Amino acid sequence: MPLLINREVVSDNWTLVDEETLQQSGDIIVPLALYLENQAELNSREGQTGLLVNGDDDLNTVLEMAEQFPLIAVDFPAFRDGRGFSIARLLVRAGYQGELRATGDIGRDRLAYMERCGFTAIQIADEVYRPEMLSAFTEVSNYYQSAADQVRAVYHQ
Amino acid sequence: MYQYNEVDQKLVDERVEQFRDQTRRYLAGELSDDDFLALRLMNGLYVQRHAPMLRVAGPYGMYNSTQLRKLAHIARTYDKGYAHFTTRTNLQFNWPALEQVPDILAELASVQMHAIQTSGNCIRNTTTDQFAGVIADEIEDPRPYCEIIRQWSSLHPEFAYLPRKFKIAISAGPTDRAATQVHDIGLHIVKNDAGEVGFEVLVGGGLGRTPVIGKQIRPFLAKQDLLSYLEAIIRVYNLNGRRDNKYKARIKILVQAMGIDKFRELVDAEWEQIRETDLQLPQSEIDRVKAFFTPFDYDQSAAEDTSLAQKLAEDEAFRIWYERNTVEHKQAGYRITYVSLKPYLKPAGDITAEQLDLVADLAEKYSFGEVRATHNQNLVLADVRNADLYAVWQVLANADLARPNIGTLTDMTVCPGGDFCALANAKTLGIADQINQKFEDMDYVHDLGDLKLNMSGCINACSHHHVGHIGILGVDKKGEDWYQITLGGDDGSEAALGKVIGKAVAADEVADTLQKVIEVYVNNRFENERFIDTFRRIGLDPFKEYVYAPAH
Repeated sequence: MPLLINREVVSDNWTLVDEETLQQSGDIIVPLALYLENQAELNSREGQTGLLVNGDDDLNTVLEMAEQFPLIAVDFPAFRDGRGFSIARLLVRAGYQGELRATGDIGRDRLAYMERCGFTAIQIADEVYRPEMLSAFTEVSNYYQSAADQVRAVYHQ
Repeated sequence: MYQYNEVDQKLVDERVEQFRDQTRRYLAGELSDDDFLALRLMNGLYVQRHAPMLRVAGPYGMYNSTQLRKLAHIARTYDKGYAHFTTRTNLQFNWPALEQVPDILAELASVQMHAIQTSGNCIRNTTTDQFAGVIADEIEDPRPYCEIIRQWSSLHPEFAYLPRKFKIAISAGPTDRAATQVHDIGLHIVKNDAGEVGFEVLVGGGLGRTPVIGKQIRPFLAKQDLLSYLEAIIRVYNLNGRRDNKYKARIKILVQAMGIDKFRELVDAEWEQIRETDLQLPQSEIDRVKAFFTPFDYDQSAAEDTSLAQKLAEDEAFRIWYERNTVEHKQAGYRITYVSLKPYLKPAGDITAEQLDLVADLAEKYSFGEVRATHNQNLVLADVRNADLYAVWQVLANADLARPNIGTLTDMTVCPGGDFCALANAKTLGIADQINQKFEDMDYVHDLGDLKLNMSGCINACSHHHVGHIGILGVDKKGEDWYQITLGGDDGSEAALGKVIGKAVAADEVADTLQKVIEVYVNNRFENERFIDTFRRIGLDPFKEYVYAPAH
């Protein structure tokens, strides 16, 4: 699946795992519940471990241990589900420095909003991705409000 | 009225081009229906390929003459020559061609208008008192805060996919004309004990399937904290609101399930994190926006006019209109003047291109070029000199815009119902006509006085039937239209939800049933007592007994 970082398609070394593929080598992204069940084992494995969270997860748990993960992926289970935008902002506010990745049902219309909410990586399904989507980032160039990006609210500019 | 600067203009211009490209790609088959759905909803465009509806934002009800003329032009050029004012003080076009919507948006942008966030699960147009800035009892003009909220909420990156739509209303004095208690967030401009002006904040009000009166979450919020507090509420809602069932997704359900105290705790905890950030509203910004809403340069000699008194004495039709359709202005010598969009036997809130032009001309000539829309689907010329009222009335009367029925039984708020809306369970327009015919005698209607009648064609309650003094809800019974009547609702300062009077009545019995309800009121009222006050005094039972008594 194409992964966008800094508005460019880059190669992706991470693999999302589930219960059955948990043992695989390399850099893996583990859903929160699965991570909590296998924490000791995962912390001692070779390769990096990232976390997958969604709107149903306990965000306090995520925020408390965020720092230890080089990558946190936030799932957008359906295009109507906008919880991921707020989750990203909370992580950024908590000082999270790793890769903050949006994944799931992601279409062109949300790309710029995701960037503004602090996502540093956006993963798009193969069947959805089109190269021209990249222009979505620059279609609207000015904003009224501040968000997790460096834009200041219009009244402070 | 607020005027766009470069930032504002650039944003709407870019938005037009963005949508133009999206529409082009959709029509070329490059965007799926689902993808396009999300995009068009954010631009106020509803439904299918062949008969879309475009909802244009009327920010807190404010329009100027240039804009009205542009809307008239759009109605003529791209639609069937008319438009419709909504209960959110927006304006809808019912028949634009999808291919032309980008052009319509470009036309709108040329007069500082847009259709951003007039649909979709995002923060909608903030509404307020149609008398903002011109009524004596207001604490402070609410419009600058509406504009500040408009800007902050426009294309807000975090809140474009809320669990459900989100509506904010502001009132600014003891009389609530903005139905703030039935909004997701209601803001009341208040003065605290120290004499500072700020906001009382209500949350979790709403109508629809589960009508709820909003609960106070904060008795006093300082002005500089307005945006941070709104952001805290909406972030808590975005993270915690239900997404499994769209009928339980509004913030009112979250507040009910959690309890207002627990909800407040979460909001306050979030607010503490963001109070001191960029969201803190500088006084300089408040002052900048306020400068757009300073009082007009009123004619100080307007009160010396004697022609009004003379015309009132000479012309009874004018006097009746004056008494019913104009309101005292805080400036001596001026009146706030309604334009009634509730003519006899025509759909409530509809306006033709010719009428739009005519109102634009009147506003320009007599009311500083501005017009307001009300949440009851009428228009207001807020600043008319006493000496000009007669001329204004004559023009309005010739255009069927001066029916002297504001605030009366025939000033009904009615949704388009089954004739137009795919969601409706029952038709409403024919019932409105039936009621109009039954209560055609204006003397009788005036004698009944203030009476708010709201009729919705389905449980989604677009016409707010729960808060009509009399509410009518269309229901479907085995393929037939039936109508359930509620009494005692109110969307004002003493907001209340109407109580169902009894079993629904058939379509041809609605006006007769209404007549019986009115008879109970007339037989029980004290002198000058409004319907709603009589109802509150005597309760539902006398109405119920009389309406459902076996025929003699």
